[in-house]
Amino acid sequence: MAENVRGPMSALTEFLRSTGITPTTIARRVATQQQQNQPEAGPSNARPSPRRNNSRRDVDEGYASDNLDEPDSPPKKQKKDDDEESDEDAYTALSKSMWTNTPKPAVGSFANCASCEKQFTVTKYTMASSSGPGFLCHPCAKAGGNDPFKKPAAPRKRKVPAEKRTVVHIEERSFPTLVSVCIDVIARHIDDVEAFGDIGALNMDAISKALSKNRSLTSENATLFYGAENTKLALYDATNLSPDGFSTLGHLNPNLTNLRLDFCGPLNDTVMASWNNSFPNLVSLELLGPFLVREAAWIAFLESHPNLEAFLITQSPRFSLDCLKTLIENSKTTLRRLGLREVGKLCDEWLEPIAEISNITYLDLAEPSESLTDDAVITLLAAVGTNLAHLDLSGHSALTDDVLAHGIDPHMHNLTSLALTHLPELTDAGVAAFFGAFNDGAGLVRLNLSRNPELGTEALEAIIEHSGMTLQELNINGWKDVGEEAVNKLGGMRDLRRLDVGWCRSVDDWVVKKILEGCRALAELKVWGVQSCRGQVGGNTKGSEDTRD
Amino acid sequence: MADVEMTPAAADNDWVRVTSDDGYSFLVRRKVANASETMRDMLDTAGNYAEAIARTCPVQQRGVIVEKLLEYMSFKSHYETVGPKDEVPVQEFMDRIPPEIVLELLLAADYQNM
Repeated sequence: MAENVRGPMSALTEFLRSTGITPTTIARRVATQQQQNQPEAGPSNARPSPRRNNSRRDVDEGYASDNLDEPDSPPKKQKKDDDEESDEDAYTALSKSMWTNTPKPAVGSFANCASCEKQFTVTKYTMASSSGPGFLCHPCAKAGGNDPFKKPAAPRKRKVPAEKRTVVHIEERSFPTLVSVCIDVIARHIDDVEAFGDIGALNMDAISKALSKNRSLTSENATLFYGAENTKLALYDATNLSPDGFSTLGHLNPNLTNLRLDFCGPLNDTVMASWNNSFPNLVSLELLGPFLVREAAWIAFLESHPNLEAFLITQSPRFSLDCLKTLIENSKTTLRRLGLREVGKLCDEWLEPIAEISNITYLDLAEPSESLTDDAVITLLAAVGTNLAHLDLSGHSALTDDVLAHGIDPHMHNLTSLALTHLPELTDAGVAAFFGAFNDGAGLVRLNLSRNPELGTEALEAIIEHSGMTLQELNINGWKDVGEEAVNKLGGMRDLRRLDVGWCRSVDDWVVKKILEGCRALAELKVWGVQSCRGQVGGNTKGSEDTRD
Repeated sequence: MADVEMTPAAADNDWVRVTSDDGYSFLVRRKVANASETMRDMLDTAGNYAEAIARTCPVQQRGVIVEKLLEYMSFKSHYETVGPKDEVPVQEFMDRIPPEIVLELLLAADYQNM
């Protein structure tokens, strides 16, 4: 026996080896039994073993019959090794076949039945006698109540739980909406636009919005909105358009003057390069999320499209000062609207070229990575403020009241729309003073001063005094400390259409009642986060109410 | 007319009227009307809207569009409850939508939130 060779062993083999039983010892014991004519091996057969007092764990367990013959030293050595790693509670009972002592004869050989003593042929179904050594013939085995052909019970498999319910759930969710069915029908006929009848009578912009809602606008069905006679095109969710789809857009809409693409993430350098030869009449470009377009592609595009009137991009970390300079060089005299929102590289240096745009009416420089400074903004507004109707400087956290007092107040006489959200340096008194003196009463139409928690009663009263009759949209979301007497005056703003008073603690049901009764034009009122507002009007307890007059 | 007050059993089984822009009028079970979220909100008795009180829901579309909307709503309310093994004949329904009205229908479906 090669002791050094170890491999996979059955539990029985392992047990036999640990108790020192080897093929050699078995053969010797069989010989002993035959000699003594004793059918059963038992303790009577055992003689005191010199190993009795050893640390072998089976000694105390009464398996003395297996210790008839002392194994050679290698098994003992093995035993010691095993002791260290084997479990104390290891299964040590003898297998049934050990009791029968005699191994089963080979299949096909003859044996004498232990019960009826007739000769029979051993098969693989032959069973050992339960009463003693030897094997039973088939009739005796059956008579003993055992079924020789019985198969061992297959191990039961556990059922996977709750499978059925999951299936039902998926089925319910996947019920097609009528919108999706319609989109499928459109896709089916997309190559035959005339099948859709007289499209001209329909509001294609509304269809574009409906398609964009579920992000179902694709390169295929977007062609519905293309046409050589188109001058304006707006796609509200272009996420699923491929770069090739954008190029196609350029080829199929040669006469576009106004292009707006929201969520145009796949737009890349290749597309911009292909657009250099498209849209010769383009005057207005509005892109949300063109973050893949690199500097060189912007410059080439802006050079090939001079005399733009509106250039509005949101979210571009790659648009650089050089791109801006190219834009100004080519469109200085025509540019009216400029939007560089969430443009990562924006800094004070950018304001110098912007200051050259003399006719600019719309400027959006909101949500930069790093704030502009007071001095730079004041210098810019001194240069171009006169014509500006819309200014958005949200998120420039370093700007202070000085911008209001020295930048906006003296220079911006045509301002109607102002957004200054998230400017923590603004103070209540500073904003109040600004509105007290600004523009001799020419009121604003849109004002967004949300997320400025320092602002409060004084500022709001000054705003209402200044622009109360003209404001259509007002957002004071987050003015946590604004006083009750001030918010009560909100009800006097006749033209107000949209109002957000979220997170203003002094707003309650009575204030809301006054607003709803006083602002006859109100279309939307947001009261998110207003704890004391129960919201009976719309029956909406989520904190938001949409009401119509 | 007083507020609509109905027992829950009657609430699901009564008839509501859906009218089109050009004067057509359709009577459907409330269960069918509820297949459209917009219509369900309009007819919700808790909302106390004029539509709920009159049990009439005007849809600002042509009759042919309203008819197709209601066809889908019946289709949905009928097949929504079938077991997972039964197939919903969406393809057949799709075949019944003429391409001439599909864009209008898309807008109407978008408004009806279904």
